[in-house]
Amino acid sequence: MKPIPFAIHDILNPARRSFLKTTAAGAALAGAGGLIELTMQDKEAQAFAYEPHYTDDQLTTVVTSCDHNCGSRHMLVAHKKGDVIVRLSTDDGRYQENGAFGKDTVAEPQLRACLRGRSYRSRLYSPERLLYPMMRVGERGSGKFKRVSWDEALDHVAKKMIELKGKYGPTAILDQAYAGTSYGVLHKSDQIEGLLARFLGLFGCRTNSWSVPSYQGTTFSSRMTFGTIEDGNEDDAFADTKLMIMWGWNPAYTFHGGNTFYYLRLAKQKGCKFVVVDPQYTDSAAAYDAWWIPIRPNTDAAMLAGMAHYIFANNLQDQKFIDKFVQGMDAGTMPDWAKGQESFKDYILGTNDKTPKTPEWAEKICGVPAADIRKLADMYARTKPAALKASWSPGRNAYGEQYNRMAAAVQAMTGNIGILGGCAEGVGKGWHAESVAYPYDENANLWWASIKSDRWAHCVLNYPNVKREEIGCWPRDDELDGKIPNIKGIFWHGSDWFNQLTNINKEIEAIKKLELVVCSDSTITPSGLWADVLLPIATHFERHDVALPWYKGHYYIHRPKVIEPMGESKTDLQVYTELAWRLEALDPSLKGLGKRYNPRAERNYFDNPDAVDEAYLVAWWKKVQDHQGVKMGWEEFKRRGVYKFTFDKPLVAFRDQIEEGVPFETPSGKIEIFSTTLAQVKDWTKTQYGYPIPAIPKWIEPFEWLGDVAKVKDHPFHLITPHPRWRTHSIFHNIPWLRETYQQEVTLNAADAKKLGIVTGDIVEVWNDRGTVVVPAYVTERCMPGVAVLFEGSWMDLDKKGVDRSGNPDFLTKDEPSPAGAFAYNTILANIRKSTLEHRPGWDSVATSRSYIFRRDS
Amino acid sequence: MTKKLDMKEVKVALQRKVAQTYEPVKPAKQLGFIHHNVDCIGCRACEIACKDKNGLPPGPRFRRVMYVEGGQYPDVFAYKVNMSCNHCAEPACLPTCPTGAIWKREADGIVDIDSTLCIGCRRCEAACPYGAPQWNPKEQIVQKCNMCVDEIEAGRKPYCVMACMMRVLDIGPIQGLWDGSHKTTAIGPNDKPVRQVKNFADPELTRPSIAFVPHSKGKV
Repeated sequence: MKPIPFAIHDILNPARRSFLKTTAAGAALAGAGGLIELTMQDKEAQAFAYEPHYTDDQLTTVVTSCDHNCGSRHMLVAHKKGDVIVRLSTDDGRYQENGAFGKDTVAEPQLRACLRGRSYRSRLYSPERLLYPMMRVGERGSGKFKRVSWDEALDHVAKKMIELKGKYGPTAILDQAYAGTSYGVLHKSDQIEGLLARFLGLFGCRTNSWSVPSYQGTTFSSRMTFGTIEDGNEDDAFADTKLMIMWGWNPAYTFHGGNTFYYLRLAKQKGCKFVVVDPQYTDSAAAYDAWWIPIRPNTDAAMLAGMAHYIFANNLQDQKFIDKFVQGMDAGTMPDWAKGQESFKDYILGTNDKTPKTPEWAEKICGVPAADIRKLADMYARTKPAALKASWSPGRNAYGEQYNRMAAAVQAMTGNIGILGGCAEGVGKGWHAESVAYPYDENANLWWASIKSDRWAHCVLNYPNVKREEIGCWPRDDELDGKIPNIKGIFWHGSDWFNQLTNINKEIEAIKKLELVVCSDSTITPSGLWADVLLPIATHFERHDVALPWYKGHYYIHRPKVIEPMGESKTDLQVYTELAWRLEALDPSLKGLGKRYNPRAERNYFDNPDAVDEAYLVAWWKKVQDHQGVKMGWEEFKRRGVYKFTFDKPLVAFRDQIEEGVPFETPSGKIEIFSTTLAQVKDWTKTQYGYPIPAIPKWIEPFEWLGDVAKVKDHPFHLITPHPRWRTHSIFHNIPWLRETYQQEVTLNAADAKKLGIVTGDIVEVWNDRGTVVVPAYVTERCMPGVAVLFEGSWMDLDKKGVDRSGNPDFLTKDEPSPAGAFAYNTILANIRKSTLEHRPGWDSVATSRSYIFRRDS
Repeated sequence: MTKKLDMKEVKVALQRKVAQTYEPVKPAKQLGFIHHNVDCIGCRACEIACKDKNGLPPGPRFRRVMYVEGGQYPDVFAYKVNMSCNHCAEPACLPTCPTGAIWKREADGIVDIDSTLCIGCRRCEAACPYGAPQWNPKEQIVQKCNMCVDEIEAGRKPYCVMACMMRVLDIGPIQGLWDGSHKTTAIGPNDKPVRQVKNFADPELTRPSIAFVPHSKGKV
């Protein structure tokens, strides 16, 4: 492990420290039966020293949290010596109000960090850490940079911004911020309303990327059906279900909420039965001892339709619930203005199209035996309460929104919404946090064009010969409506989108046409290598903030500045504030921009942000106290480091709607299986969707899938690209600790592999018309035949022929989203063959995976 | 090899070996680990917490979560077996060490190693049936789990246990873990702990201080 790049001398209580060292070593010597004169010299604190361990009283303990783009957030406790973090621990129950070591109750469980969180020191002190501003000196993408001063970097960016805006207009700069650098209340990189959005918006030049890669199909479904994305229960509510159907959901890998996986274990102990519908027998299926139903990828809506048919045919639906709360489930619940139009039941029974969506009909599409579809539908309809957790990943498909809408229909027809132990997820956003401490106002999300996020390359390559529906132009009510943006620059903020969006080879063509690419990050990412300017952002260990989980979990974790910013890194708020001041100086029309962007800051904020950041956070905490009834003061919160909310009963989405008759947030006030909004669209090309979407959920044949006989001939495998456990998207790919525990590999069914002569560990090429990647194979009985699995997010590593040696599946994905905006990450046909090419697991050769050593066939 | 072994010689040799066997320390109390093979999601947070605590480079893994799978599509099963050092009653590593770097603590039976005395001969690594001693290629020494004795002395539990997101890994007095009398979240309401699971070396060799809640397919 390379030493950290600066030396720290700590002289805190040296006498006591050497005494402790002596006794520790002395114990060892006594065991060996000898006595040796001890002459140990006190050493500098090293981040990765093995021995001797510092004891608690030699270290400063600081509560903080993890901080990356994941649906959860856990506590990290930094133990530091001087300005070096020498180890991390996690929540042990001591830090909260009335805490004690080991306290771990159902209401206030410990917030224990996962393997990614636990590896944070490796990331903080990694060789890929971006410590200084850099500017490109070679060709774009060649990875050749020189170190420059902040002055040089920021002046260059400011000048180019003004030039682009003047030459190409207010759509010239594409905002591709994402959640990678930070997710805190003050320092927030985010796609929609993060710090970059407001900065570019106030500057007056911004094309927005509106579709969210993770879950756009699901978001669409939740909004259309329930009128909100807050359709999630808090995770403790899962402990009260009797049947948990995990549809494409693998909480052993991806986390929403601090303890979802643990509450599910408690449910299992109380007798809850688990079902996993997934092409893979996942670790969740194993841990919860689930009934595994393997399903062909991208056919989930068909299976759900088959279940709905069984429920209607046997009259098992909760008709009282439907009549009271649902629009368009059947003819009787259609709104007056749409009487006679096709209801959901009409579609399922085949009233109009003469195709009843029977379990047999579904079997032909999804590959699940009709008997199993019936059995599952029967279980779900008769078990009360039962949770059908329709996760995001089957929604990351062509027509993925249809799957999520169909699942919502099945949830609604069984009356499992708004009750403890049921589930309406969906997006699954639960508890509503106070999430914004940074300057926030009507400028938070200004844009002059807004497109589907994975269509930018298509737009750049074909400009101006692009139709608005091809790129999903969001409508406007001014003269810019439908105007194709003339994109000439990209800003990445906490975003590795170049590595993470679809069809990377097309992106590579497009990026060559740009005039400015700026990347703000704490790590040199694969995207960063394609930038012109790299701006080093301080990590969450190096700035003051408060952390919160995204989707579930009711707690705040304080994040003080644990160590000073490394190298010359600055916080993102510092960088955009400083840029705003410099833009103002260059362009008189931008007068006051610096102050407008960061009202509390003065011109010296770039050098010392501490007091201003504290002031923002104090004001935010006041909101927490006022809006959320928190009595704890800011100083006590800072001292403890964590605040955990407790509730009388578990939070369940839509409880008020069901128990108290509060209307749903849809146009009709009901759960809209028949969507008022969609039914009234006249011209789809004028919508952000571009192409028609049915008003009721339907099975629609995807762009490519195993049922497409012609395409399957040359590309016999359906490739899915789920989230790995040892990375969060592409974050942590460079961490040797994590890379040695799991490896980037393509999972194949044993029978399929045998036909190809492939065994575990063989290097294979996975390819289609869009690209080729090289990875080792993992051959297993745990994968459905015809399906291959390749985890997203490995750091692209192209050879001279344009073959990706890292195994990044986005060289194979299609950059054509579903009409509702869902990325088609799991809609891929591909072929596989043995290869003599070398797989490169990482940019360095520090750690190669040994995970196969720890695998055993029983 | 064509030479036939002279069984008499072998017997003498074995006796010589037995004579060299040391008398293991009988601790006042023997601490051990327990792991629930089924409920473990296999996330390896315990492994990383351990690497972080011990400042290990890539390579040595004091704690190792083993993935076991079997069956035939679609009737498959999978479980995890999670081990570090089993702090055996009769540790095989201890007598092999030529420098006396390894010893067993009298208070709690933890098998500790002073790596500053290690000469890197790797005999302990070869002797251990569970793969506990780990070679550190950077330091050229062997290191291993010492159950975070510093944490235990401070009244806490090792980093791996405190890292477990599913609360399926724990420590306790090993006798109490085996007979189920020691209260722990690792054991669920209907679970019965065992001393051995499939693919696990015969416990009679070293009498490891570890308990498992086994998968139905992992029982022996």
